[in-house]
Amino acid sequence: MFRLSKALAVSSVGIKKVVTERTILSLNVCLCATVQEVRPLVLVRPTSTSAVQRAEQRDEANFPRPVRPVEPGKVRLGFVPEEWFQFLYPKTGVTGPYVLGLGLTTFLCSKEIYVMEHEYYTGISILLMVVYAVKKFGPVIGQTLDKKIEDIEQSWRDYREGSIIQVKESMEKEKEAQLSAKGQDMLFDAKRENVALQLEAAYRERLARVHSEVKKRLDYQLEVANVKTRLQQKHMVDWIVKNVKGSITPAQEAATLKQCMADLKALAPKA
Amino acid sequence: MGFGEYPPEYNAKIHGPYDPARYYGKADIPFGQVKLGELGSWVGRRNMSGIPGAVSRAFWRWNHKYMLPKKTGFAPFAQLMVGCMIVFYSINYGKMVHHRNHKYHW
Repeated sequence: MFRLSKALAVSSVGIKKVVTERTILSLNVCLCATVQEVRPLVLVRPTSTSAVQRAEQRDEANFPRPVRPVEPGKVRLGFVPEEWFQFLYPKTGVTGPYVLGLGLTTFLCSKEIYVMEHEYYTGISILLMVVYAVKKFGPVIGQTLDKKIEDIEQSWRDYREGSIIQVKESMEKEKEAQLSAKGQDMLFDAKRENVALQLEAAYRERLARVHSEVKKRLDYQLEVANVKTRLQQKHMVDWIVKNVKGSITPAQEAATLKQCMADLKALAPKA
Repeated sequence: MGFGEYPPEYNAKIHGPYDPARYYGKADIPFGQVKLGELGSWVGRRNMSGIPGAVSRAFWRWNHKYMLPKKTGFAPFAQLMVGCMIVFYSINYGKMVHHRNHKYHW
């Protein structure tokens, strides 16, 4: 029971961590996505995966996603909102608000509700300097800052695109690794075949050796038998000859010689 | 207490990301369209404890319009300057009265 509750606690922490990470990521992506771009090439689309954004009760019509505007609200004379001028336009026309401002300042100054004391003249001088500085350095500073913002946003976009490309590349590499793993299988089969061939070769070589050894032994036996019969024959022949020669008596020898001479004499005249 | 928390009527699933410039309660008739006869009831419906929220929403609306866009100019700072001038002048008005150049005015 304790283990189950511990496992639940660990898994809930894990889920919370995942959810917060996802929401942080989605917030980051929302920041990128909610920037309203002037250039039409950049897409503005929600890419978050949080469950809140996909709920069924999401009232998109009345509560659209807030978008960061690019241009600020219009002002006249540097600080008066344009809406005040538009508010008075139907009743007083174009010059209405200016007349109102002039009349109001005249009233304040003449009744000395706005006292033009020495601080007032300080204020006038500072106002002049501020106006000059804004008119002269404003556009330059604006452009440098805009460029820096653009660089930051570009780095966000590059990070996102780069991550996508990286993930795709690792997908390709994974596929290649799978293919080469299959190749490993074939390699293994080839090695196994190789070993089988080697075993076969060794077996055949030993078979041949056995054959030759057996043949050698048989040949030896054959030679031995041959030698034995030869010797026996030779010995027998020698013994027979010796005995026969010994049995020839001298009288027999003389008689044979005579006979041979008579035969030769008989043959001679025929030639 | 509610300070630093979401308003109770805000529901992330319905309203999406929290926009501090929006009022998430029930919409009432805008003051510009209230008829004179309904004025009493309209004022009766106002809620004193919602004033800090209203101030916060007004501040965020000004922010969203002038300070937070990508290409702001000098306008918000000029508005701040003028606002501060008015506030501090009104605070110090008692002292300023004594620095008038003339005693009698039309």
